[in-house]
Amino acid sequence: MKVKEIMTREVVNIPANASVNEALGLLLKMKISGLPVLDEHNNLIGMFTEKDILRYIFPSYLHKVGRFVYDENPKAIKKKMAQLGSLKVEQLMRREVITLDEDTTLCEVAHIMLTQKIRRIPILDKSRKVVGIVAREDVIRAFAKEANLL
Amino acid sequence: MKNTIVQKFIILIGLSLALGIWCSQTGFTSRQALSISIFSASIFGTLFFWDFRLSFAFLGSSLLLITKTIDLEHLIKFSSLDIILFLVGMMIIIGLLKESGFFAWIVSLILRVRNLTATKFVIAVSLISALLACAVDEVTSIIFMVAAILEICDYFEVNPTPFIITSVLATNIGSSGTVLGNPIGILIAAKSGLTFEDFIVKAFPLMLICLLLAIFIAVLWYRKSIREMDEKIKEVGSNEMLIKLISVPPDRPLKLSLAIFGVTLLFISLHHRLELLWGLEANTILLIVPLISSACIMIWKWNKARSYVEKDVEWWTLLFFLLLFAQAGTLKYSGATDVLAQRLSGAVANDPSLLTGMVLWISAFGSSILDNVVLVAAFIPVVQSFKDLGFALQPLWWALLFGGCFGGNITLVGSTANIVALGILEKERSIKVTFLQWFGIGLSVGIATTLVIWLALLYLPLLK
Repeated sequence: MKVKEIMTREVVNIPANASVNEALGLLLKMKISGLPVLDEHNNLIGMFTEKDILRYIFPSYLHKVGRFVYDENPKAIKKKMAQLGSLKVEQLMRREVITLDEDTTLCEVAHIMLTQKIRRIPILDKSRKVVGIVAREDVIRAFAKEANLL
Repeated sequence: MKNTIVQKFIILIGLSLALGIWCSQTGFTSRQALSISIFSASIFGTLFFWDFRLSFAFLGSSLLLITKTIDLEHLIKFSSLDIILFLVGMMIIIGLLKESGFFAWIVSLILRVRNLTATKFVIAVSLISALLACAVDEVTSIIFMVAAILEICDYFEVNPTPFIITSVLATNIGSSGTVLGNPIGILIAAKSGLTFEDFIVKAFPLMLICLLLAIFIAVLWYRKSIREMDEKIKEVGSNEMLIKLISVPPDRPLKLSLAIFGVTLLFISLHHRLELLWGLEANTILLIVPLISSACIMIWKWNKARSYVEKDVEWWTLLFFLLLFAQAGTLKYSGATDVLAQRLSGAVANDPSLLTGMVLWISAFGSSILDNVVLVAAFIPVVQSFKDLGFALQPLWWALLFGGCFGGNITLVGSTANIVALGILEKERSIKVTFLQWFGIGLSVGIATTLVIWLALLYLPLLK
């Protein structure tokens, strides 16, 4: 099975110059965890995810200090949350994005998701425009269907 | 950018070649001159291209072998695998402590200071920074101290810079107090025969005196910031809320980790007596205790053992150390350090006091520019050669230790702790500390504390 058979074709995306607050609202409204970021020519230039927000509001040294228990929200986190409105998506987004073409097999998609620890992959056509997006859930559903579990 | 890199590379090659040619024309044999030239290229490489230091170490070691300046057997012998294994063991133990919340627990102790004032805060931060650096390595300790200072300064809405700089100064001073505080401590202990007890009896009290002096200077230097913080503390109220902010309950894994660390420290501190009791070679217990403890940790946490070894051990740094020690050993092997020792002793008219002062100040100012491990590794074979010239080595070892640790305070690139702390400050609060902003207090503390050590080395019979 090819990825074009299971991908979502109506891709919810966000322009690079949108505010982070706008992107956050979209993530919460659509109940998704990531958005492809497009430039003015509709080219994919990054991915904006919930993880990027968490990475911004928490200190960069967090992974170095191991266990660090916060009983209550420190002022710094509240302050950083308040700053989100003044930030543009392009300031927080991840620029290195793994993409695939429409003819990639399902197994290859699953393999990449597993080894690269990613939840969703934008699918590009030959002119490098986003034509779809595939999430882990889509892959699992397709495998389950093939095994007659659904 | 590209031009600067090319320029630096040309300067590096030019300086190394010039040094080699100058040595060969001033009484060194061609092999000695070659070893000095290649070693200096590695040192200049670390100075100009810090991110590529491992590449320079690889290339330098290969050149030493290919030019037959040293053979493979001796290169491996001089690489001081014993010290590398000690550091591997300690890094695994620290990995466990980090994971179990030991450092966060220690940091939460600062927050429990009742009726907090800014001066109390500076003193608590300095003492904990120094003691933590004594017990674990300075880089691990500074990350936790910076994290705590940022949280506290955020709470009281004051600029964290003066408190972070004070903590770094205290960390560098504290790292001289035991064998564990700084890689140069274990390096000197392994090469000199000085024991953990020697460090506790001789280095630790001197470190404390210097720490008090540094706190005094910092309180004076930052009196305005301290006054501002006092006002904020009055405004915001007591630190009851702050105490609740970060807290680590001492749960079972933390208690067990503490027990392992405590037993490790106990055996390390008794290593000399145990080695005498069991008729073991010097430093055997010192070097194997971290290995035994980390072995126990990897059995206890067997499903995370690979992660401790792969993520908590800094293989990049350790490989650099290993090859650096091997290259420094080549200076000894070729006899270059014997010639250097003769010339240095001639320069001070064979006066032991002048020689001690020279080693202390060279290592202090050298460490303010160079990584102190690089400097001390280069100096060790020279100090060893002074023995054949009839000098007592002990004051020279202490001079090397204190100079190497305290010199790191002079400039903002003087030690890894400085770079790590200021890097976090810039990333988290967009505060960039300038060279001069650091240099004022750094030079004052660096000179004052090194002076104290100089006087102690001259007049304290304990250190002779």
